[in-house]
Amino acid sequence: MSSEPRAFATVDQGTATVAVSLLGRLDGRWRLLGSTAAPASVPADALLHRLRARLDAADPGLAAGVGLAAAEAVADLPRVESRTTPPPVLVVVAATERVVRPLAAAAATAGWRVRAMALEGAEILSIASALADPSVTAVLAGASDPPGADERPLVGELAALAAAATQRRPDLVLVLAGGMSDAVNRTGLPVAHDRPGATLLAPAVATADGARLRELLDGVRGGASDGRRALATSTATLAEVLRRRIEVVEVGQSAGARVAAAWAPGAPAVSVTWATVAGAALIPPGADDTVVDEIAGWLAAPLDRLRLRDRLRELAVAPWGDATGEGAQVRLAAARAAVARLAGATPAFDALPAPDLVVAAGGAWSVAPGPAVALALADVLRRPGVRALGLDHASLLGPLGTIEDEAERRRVVADLRDELLLPLGSVLMPGALRAGHSAGRLGIVAADGPVELDLVPGGLELVDLPPGSRAIVDVRFRDTVDLGLRGRQFALEVAGGLGGLLVDLRGIPMRLPDRLERRRELLAAWQGALWTGVDA
Amino acid sequence: MTAHDWRAEIPSRPFVEAGLETHLPLPPGDRALVETGTELAPGDPLLEHLRDARIDEADVRSSVGAPPPVAGTRWSPTLATGRFRRGRPELEGELLAPVAGQRDRWRIVVGDHRSVGTSPVGGLVVDVRPGAEVRIRVAGLAVRGAMAAGASARGRLELATDPFGDLRPGGIDVGRAGSILVVGSRIDAEALTRARAMGVRGIVVASLPGKELRDFLASERRQRAALHPAPPFGLLVLDGTLRRPIASPIAELFERLAGREVALLVDPPALVFDAPDVELPAIDPDWVRLRSGPTAGAEGRVTGLAGRRRFAAGVMLEAAWVEIDGEPPVDTPLGDLERLV
Repeated sequence: MSSEPRAFATVDQGTATVAVSLLGRLDGRWRLLGSTAAPASVPADALLHRLRARLDAADPGLAAGVGLAAAEAVADLPRVESRTTPPPVLVVVAATERVVRPLAAAAATAGWRVRAMALEGAEILSIASALADPSVTAVLAGASDPPGADERPLVGELAALAAAATQRRPDLVLVLAGGMSDAVNRTGLPVAHDRPGATLLAPAVATADGARLRELLDGVRGGASDGRRALATSTATLAEVLRRRIEVVEVGQSAGARVAAAWAPGAPAVSVTWATVAGAALIPPGADDTVVDEIAGWLAAPLDRLRLRDRLRELAVAPWGDATGEGAQVRLAAARAAVARLAGATPAFDALPAPDLVVAAGGAWSVAPGPAVALALADVLRRPGVRALGLDHASLLGPLGTIEDEAERRRVVADLRDELLLPLGSVLMPGALRAGHSAGRLGIVAADGPVELDLVPGGLELVDLPPGSRAIVDVRFRDTVDLGLRGRQFALEVAGGLGGLLVDLRGIPMRLPDRLERRRELLAAWQGALWTGVDA
Repeated sequence: MTAHDWRAEIPSRPFVEAGLETHLPLPPGDRALVETGTELAPGDPLLEHLRDARIDEADVRSSVGAPPPVAGTRWSPTLATGRFRRGRPELEGELLAPVAGQRDRWRIVVGDHRSVGTSPVGGLVVDVRPGAEVRIRVAGLAVRGAMAAGASARGRLELATDPFGDLRPGGIDVGRAGSILVVGSRIDAEALTRARAMGVRGIVVASLPGKELRDFLASERRQRAALHPAPPFGLLVLDGTLRRPIASPIAELFERLAGREVALLVDPPALVFDAPDVELPAIDPDWVRLRSGPTAGAEGRVTGLAGRRRFAAGVMLEAAWVEIDGEPPVDTPLGDLERLV
């Protein structure tokens, strides 16, 4: 791209979805000319031909202006491409459950599919078999540093098993955390240095709350064009360009990712935190009854457990199939459950300052109507405050994050700032709301004129606020509430979007009825208000 | 198909694949009877399976100058030196890992009951990883499935029903022994269990509900736990869990292969045949199958791309016009379609 082409393409190649976009340089800035997505088996070139032909049909002059008048232009189009692959398998072993748990938690947010095992009480043969399993890419053997009293009798055995595993599988990546590296040295069984797999020493999981271990494991897993790492890079750039705190929740077929990037005045750089969680995939491989129940808990459609389990298996096999009608509801219920698992696996994010903007990304949202996505985000990400909601509708964040030159990436993102995200609206979500008939009143000048709302705890109110508009909300509560700041009266600026303004008084955390029928009624009522045609 | 053929926008999968690589498990204790580069014919001995693997310990001290013990290699008392040769003669097995803190003492995997497993396919052994797997690049062509369970197996292909049919337990008798049965659209766990008991080597079905799969897997676990070795039995599901017939080109291929030896593979899920004289059915380039959606399993002819269309629940999707049974074309989401190429 250094020779300033007039157009380029982005390709986000996922495990279930391939998304492509065409970008052209118009009046000195990059503009999004079109985007589309399809099942991953469809070649990206076929989709680019589709986009080019549509551009040419809609505006031949524009197509000619960016050099896309002829079909052959697609072949020569510069591309930036990101790729996500199924998470590799990591076996986490330690002497005791006490040590395994934090190790597994750190590894689970570094994009690995984790199989955690403690030697204590386990059969040696089953541990050795698990370490040699051909589906395993890496082994994380960890111990406290120095090993605790409960670990000491077992740490030598564990070290011997880990060292022996590298003799069976020389390609195995071995990560020795904490006191395990000393233990392996004492086994007398050398771990060859010239084998194909790496042997890496990592700090104990207690060091820096596991952040360094997590960083090392994340580095072992992904390549330079890894879509989820690129997502973190581009989110940081977007936060810098918009001068906002941004959180991205990405749900894909193979994993989910959460990125928090915060711009702060005077800070030398945008701070960025990210986690990739295999368990937050839309349908995790081998999803058990717990996952089925989690999804059933968000489903307004009356599907029994067996039928739902079969639908989910189908969804795992054919992620783009049956995406309409009830199938769309199943998909969004699965996406909600995935975001909930993602949030559950990344509690450290909740300690960060609340975001100004939450962005949904990933293939799970690609066939859902925008307002339905806005509701799904509000349903699951329960945090006091006011925030805008957006959708990475063209799947640009991943590919743009692979642009290595920071200045160039910033320039492209800055040019696309109004097109990169589909505005879904805003959500106003007070915390510490007291139950009662009325919590206060809200006033706003919306699309249809001034709106006055009585704020009833437990309810979800919608205000029509179209994309591109902004409005000042005047909120007066009877008691002190938490809206990021504690107070009773607030004047807040909110952005419009496809879902408008969601005044979400459903409580933090939101408690849904235990009775399935009542729960479904409630979910259907909320969904029906935002999702046109959901009952069709 | 040219680079700009609009049909490329319709999701596709290969009708058949050549050069498939299959993975056969070789857990610790099992012994490969082949090595990398071995040319295999179907039925050749492949591995020795230890049915009652357990751990024991042995002193593996060897003579001066001999290479040190390595995990995954075989060990027997005859390899020991001096007084250590007096080790128990039955203590022969695979070296697992050294015992912590005891120099020259290793854990080994031993057992009393062994059975020889044969290769379900012909092909080339591309890798042998003791304690992990044997990888074989199979000779012939493969039809991929969506999932599989049980063990890889070999048998003659028989059509038990038409592509739309169900196979009931009563429809399976010993006359089917040694066969891999194609049973149409659906089967239940009871029929699967009966098929295995009757000596059937495998079942190929279009779809299998999750409940039936779960019941079958539980039955498989019980079967594997038994000491009496049973012939391998595999299950290949071509599409998924919701009922639909077998795609007509695949059904037609199975008809042509009926009576021939085929292999049912579990990893990856596939049916492999090595029959160069069998002509593959021709597939019309406009042929499509509705893989998913309310009319899953229907087949038709795609007449063009319809662009973005609004479907139930307000979902906007790219669509194609599909003619089914000579009716006027209907807008169908591209994501619900599949082509076999």
